[in-house]
Amino acid sequence: MKTKTSHFLKGRLSIQQRLPLLICLLLLVSVVVYGFANYYSLRKATLIIADDRLGTISNELNIALSQSAQGIAASLGVAASQRSVIDCLKSGGKGFHNEVVSILDNQHHDSTYVWTELLDDHQVPVLHSNKSTLQISISAKDALSSVKVAPGLPVAGKIYSTNGSVYVPIIAAVADKQQIIGYIILWKLFVSTPKAVAQFSKLVGIGTDFYIGNTDGSLWTDLIKPIPNIPFKINNVSELIKYTRSDGTPMIAKAQLISNTKWFIVVAFSQQSVLSEVDSFVNWLVLIGVVIIAGGILAAWLMSRTIIKPLNQLIITANAISEGNYSTTIPIDMYQNDEVGQLANAFNIMIGQVSRSHYELESKVEERTAQLANVNKELEAFSYSVSHDLRTPLRAINGYSIMLKEDYDAELDSEGKRIVRNIISNAKMMGQLIDDLLSFSRMGKKDLVRAKIDMQELTETVVRELLQHEPAPDKYQINVGPLPPISADQVMIKQALINLVGNAIKYSSKKEEPVIEIGAREEQKKTIYYIKDNGAGFDMAYSGKLFGVFQRLHSQEEFEGTGVGLALAKRIIEKHKGEIWAEGKENAGATFYFSLPKI
Amino acid sequence: MTENTVEVLLVEDNPHDAEMTIRALKKVNLANRLTHLKDGAEALDFIFAKGAFADREIENKPKVILLDIKMPKVDGIEVLRQIKANESTRTIPVVIMTSSKEEQDVITSYNLGVNSYVVKPVDFEGFARAVSQLGCYWLIINQAVE
Repeated sequence: MKTKTSHFLKGRLSIQQRLPLLICLLLLVSVVVYGFANYYSLRKATLIIADDRLGTISNELNIALSQSAQGIAASLGVAASQRSVIDCLKSGGKGFHNEVVSILDNQHHDSTYVWTELLDDHQVPVLHSNKSTLQISISAKDALSSVKVAPGLPVAGKIYSTNGSVYVPIIAAVADKQQIIGYIILWKLFVSTPKAVAQFSKLVGIGTDFYIGNTDGSLWTDLIKPIPNIPFKINNVSELIKYTRSDGTPMIAKAQLISNTKWFIVVAFSQQSVLSEVDSFVNWLVLIGVVIIAGGILAAWLMSRTIIKPLNQLIITANAISEGNYSTTIPIDMYQNDEVGQLANAFNIMIGQVSRSHYELESKVEERTAQLANVNKELEAFSYSVSHDLRTPLRAINGYSIMLKEDYDAELDSEGKRIVRNIISNAKMMGQLIDDLLSFSRMGKKDLVRAKIDMQELTETVVRELLQHEPAPDKYQINVGPLPPISADQVMIKQALINLVGNAIKYSSKKEEPVIEIGAREEQKKTIYYIKDNGAGFDMAYSGKLFGVFQRLHSQEEFEGTGVGLALAKRIIEKHKGEIWAEGKENAGATFYFSLPKI
Repeated sequence: MTENTVEVLLVEDNPHDAEMTIRALKKVNLANRLTHLKDGAEALDFIFAKGAFADREIENKPKVILLDIKMPKVDGIEVLRQIKANESTRTIPVVIMTSSKEEQDVITSYNLGVNSYVVKPVDFEGFARAVSQLGCYWLIINQAVE
C-alpha cells in the first residue's frame, strides 16, 4: 500500500512541472503550424512575384530582340527592293554588279555582320558583299527552308552554330511584280559580349540566366556561345518551369516566343535568389518562435508558481491542522479575489469551524471526564466503605462465632456445632469475596508500570508460594518453561499468574498425579504463555462464562472460589493489550493461554 | 512501674472489635493494664491530660497506642498527627489497626510517623494472631524510650 502510493507519485510530474510543459507544447504546436502556414503562403506569393518578374523581363527582352531583328530585316527589305538589285537578278546576274555590291556593303554596319549575299530564285549565290569576312558553311538553301519568306516581309531565321559561334540569317525576298526572283541573305553573329551579358544580368538580378534557342530545339545559346540542350522541356510558354541547373542549383524559369522569329527566350532565376527573403523569414520565424516558447515557459512557470504557492500554503496549513494546530490560517490578501483566494477563504472558515467543534468536543470531553472522575470518586468512597464498614461487622460475626465455639463448645450438641462452623466458614467466604472484589476494582484504576520481567523466575516463585499452602505439595508435577522474558507490570502479572496457576493447582488437586505444564510460544509481535493442567477441566460450551465476575463452572462444594480470579486475570492481561482464552474438556484438563505484546 | 501506669491504650469506637482485641491480648496476658477509649477526642484528652483526664499525670505514657482510623469526632489520622507533632508524646509507639487497606491511609500514616500499620483480618483467628503478636512485640520485645 505504501510503496504503491509512493510509486504512483513518483511516476507523475507535479502540477508546477506539468503546466509549463503543457503550455510549451501548445506554443510549440501553434508556432510550428502558424510558421509553416506562413512560410508556404509567403513562398507561394514570392514565386508568383518571381513569375511576374520573369514574365516582365522576358517580355522586355522579347521586345528588344524582336525590334532589333525587325530593324535589320527592314533595312534588308529596303535593300531587296532596290531597282538595281531587281535588275541584276533579271539580267541573270550579269549586270549592275557594282551597284548591287555597294548596296550589300551598306548592310554591314559592324563586324558582327559576317556575310551578305544575293541569291537567285534557285537559291544559288549570285553576288556577295565585299565586306563579308566569313563564309558561313551553312547553305542558304538550308537557312531558307526553315522560314517562309514573302515579298516585302523580311524575316530572321533559325540560329545556327558554326566554328563555336552562333549566327543568325536575316532573309529578304527580291520580287518583281509580286514574283520572287531571288533573295538577299545576311548572316549576323548572334552574340553579346560577356561584359554586356553580366551587366544586363546585374540589372535584372544576380543569378539570372538567359537562354535563346530555336523553337524546334535544334540550338540553344546563352548569348555568348552555343550550349548543350537546356535541362527542361518547354510545353507552354506561360508556364513557370522549375529545374535543376547542372551545378545542382534549383532554378525557376519562364520561356517566351520572340515575336516574328523562330526563337524562344528563356529567363531563369535561381530559386535561392528568389526565396532568400522567404528563408530569412523562416529564420526570423524560428527565432521568434523560440522567443515565444521560452517566454511562454517562463510565464507558465511563474503562473503555475502563483497557483502552486497558495496550494502549498494550503497543504502546509492542512498538515498543521491535522497535527492539531488550529491557530494556523492562510493569509488571504496574498491571492486577491481569485479562485485560489476563495478557496483559501473557504478553507479558513472551515478551519474556524473545525477548531470550534474541536474545542467544543474537547470541553465536552473534559466535562464528561470530570463527571466520570466524580463518579469514580464516589465509587472509591463506596469501595472504601465496603472495605471498612462491611469487614467490621463481618469480623464481629466471625469473632463471636469463634468465641461461641471456644467458650461454649461443651454446651453445644453436634447440630449446634455444625451451625457455628457454617457461620464461621460463610463469614470467611464473604470476607474473601470482599477482598477479591476490591482488588478487582482497584486493578481497574491502577496504572501500568512496565519493566522487564524474568517470567521464568517469577513463575517459579509463584508456584513455590502456592504449593506452600497445599497439604500435599509433593504430588504435583509442575514443569515450568523455559519462559521468555517480557516487558510488563510485575505486580499485576504476578497476580495473574497466582490466579491462573492457583486455578490449575486447585482444579487438579483431586487427581492422584496432577501434572501442570507452564510454557510459552514466541510469535513475531507477541509471546503466548500457557498453563495446562490435567484436572477437572470444563465444558467448552460454557467457555464464555469463564472470565466473567462471579461466574463459576463448579460448585462451592466441589472447589472453593469466589469467581473473581479469572476476571481479574483477564482485566490484567487486557490492560497490557494482550489476550486471554482457554481450552478445556470436562474431566480432561484445561489450558489457559494469555498473550502479551512485545514492546 | 506504678499502679496507674497504662501499658496499652486502645482507641476503638467499635465495641466488638475492642472486645476481640482485648480478648486476644488477655489470652497472652497482655491486657492487665489496658485502657479502652471510644473515640479520637477522648484519646487526645487522655494523652495530653485534658478534659476528663485533666488530673492524669502526663508523664505516664502508654507503652503502645493501638489506634483505629475511622472513628466519630476526631479520626485516628488526626490523633496520630497530634501525637507525632508533640515533642513529649512523639516517642510513644503508635500502631494503626484498621479495616481499611486504602493506600492513601497507609501513606498518610507512615508520613506522619506511624510505627506500625496493621490491617485487621476478617477472620477472628487471623485477627487474634495479629493482635497477640503486636502486643508481644510492643510490650515485651520493643525497648521503649524511658
